[in-house]
Amino acid sequence: MKKRQNPTYKWVLSEIGREAQVHPHYADLQNHFALLLMAGGEMEKAESHFLEALHLNPKYREAILNLGFLYIEMRRWKEAEEIFLSEVKRHPKDGFLHHVLGILSLQTGKKKEAIARIHQAIQHHSYYRDYYQKKGIWQRGVVVLDQKAERALKKIHLNHHDAQFHNFIGLCLAKKGRSRQAVKELRKAARLKPDEIIFHANLGTVYYYQGAYSRAVREYQKTLEMDPTYGMGYANLSYVFGLMSRTQEALHYMKKAVQVNPRYADLHYNLALLYSDRRRYVEAASELKKALRINPSYLFARINLGVLYEDQRKWKEAKREYRRILQITPDDEHIRRRLERIS
Amino acid sequence: MLREDFIIQSNLRKILIRSNINYSRMDFGTVKGMVYLRGIFQVSHHHREREEGKEKEFVIRTLHSFEKKIKSLPGVTDVIFQFLNWRKEKGQWVPVEIEKREEEDEKKTESNV
Repeated sequence: MKKRQNPTYKWVLSEIGREAQVHPHYADLQNHFALLLMAGGEMEKAESHFLEALHLNPKYREAILNLGFLYIEMRRWKEAEEIFLSEVKRHPKDGFLHHVLGILSLQTGKKKEAIARIHQAIQHHSYYRDYYQKKGIWQRGVVVLDQKAERALKKIHLNHHDAQFHNFIGLCLAKKGRSRQAVKELRKAARLKPDEIIFHANLGTVYYYQGAYSRAVREYQKTLEMDPTYGMGYANLSYVFGLMSRTQEALHYMKKAVQVNPRYADLHYNLALLYSDRRRYVEAASELKKALRINPSYLFARINLGVLYEDQRKWKEAKREYRRILQITPDDEHIRRRLERIS
Repeated sequence: MLREDFIIQSNLRKILIRSNINYSRMDFGTVKGMVYLRGIFQVSHHHREREEGKEKEFVIRTLHSFEKKIKSLPGVTDVIFQFLNWRKEKGQWVPVEIEKREEEDEKKTESNV
């Protein structure tokens, strides 16, 4: 195994292995350790750590999928099929799951089913139509499955695992402040699986770490080209523009983030700050109220609302908000002093 | 000059992302240049020390450096820490024992960072 000789791989494997030993009850550590073992070809060990991750958190989707891929690698088709069938029931519009089930049907000699799955993958994600066309699997509206096509199909799932591996190595490097190497790994991940939003979002975040804001903007924009309903993409763009002191753009993207995710109190709060900074107090108050409707215990939203009322000399309303805060946190001396000052 | 709370908030977010702090159980807000932090302060498990004494020292160092970074942000007038598990007394950070129930309540009332 080539990866086993790679010094970065060895370093990350030993770090995560040590962490997993120190904190055996963290499902994410078990999953990541297993992913690394799998990449190094230690399949049985990987299986036991994936199973441990799922024992700790049975709904851990990433670990479920990784275990499915491990079974494919180990040619344990039936166990793999069970995992992906149960996942596709939960996510029937996930093109990738249909694609994997297509591969599994081929492996178990069910060609008709494989063709049906390929049709479903195309129906749910245009990426697969282009891919299958390029590989000669999709020809003038018909699925063609010869030996060459079968080899190409298997490559996509290997790409998926490799991409997950490079993504994880990239994140580990980023956490250690080794941003340049992290970017290299994340770029590899994005090249292997160009339709995966999270890789571009991670790349954007590493550029954000580095202070390379224009590049971060480009990556976050890519996530939105892939999926215009990806609300966090708009929010991330807004935060980056905030760091660049380009508040006009920050406001534009935060408004979009709120439109896409209207039930996310934190986004309303941030939009309120942007309005308040521009002295658009009515809109700011309205956003803070929305945040409080979603989460009545959101203290900061209430503090900002109280201060906003104070600024507008709406003493009665300001006092009401401060009193509500003191009901939740009676020891808050700052709020008590604010209340005394206006009483 | 108008203090831009959103810019402070964005910078605060950046400090947290780049730090070794586990901010999943922490909230923060900015009001006219005044930064508020609440919840449970923890360092990320990737950075935890194995020995208890060393871990405490490490958390204290992290808290001091975090405070310094926030105060150096342009526009920040004051920082108010309202952590459940750490309190500042006479310039020193001291750990506070929190009851399990209080911790659970905190989990329920957290808003997302």
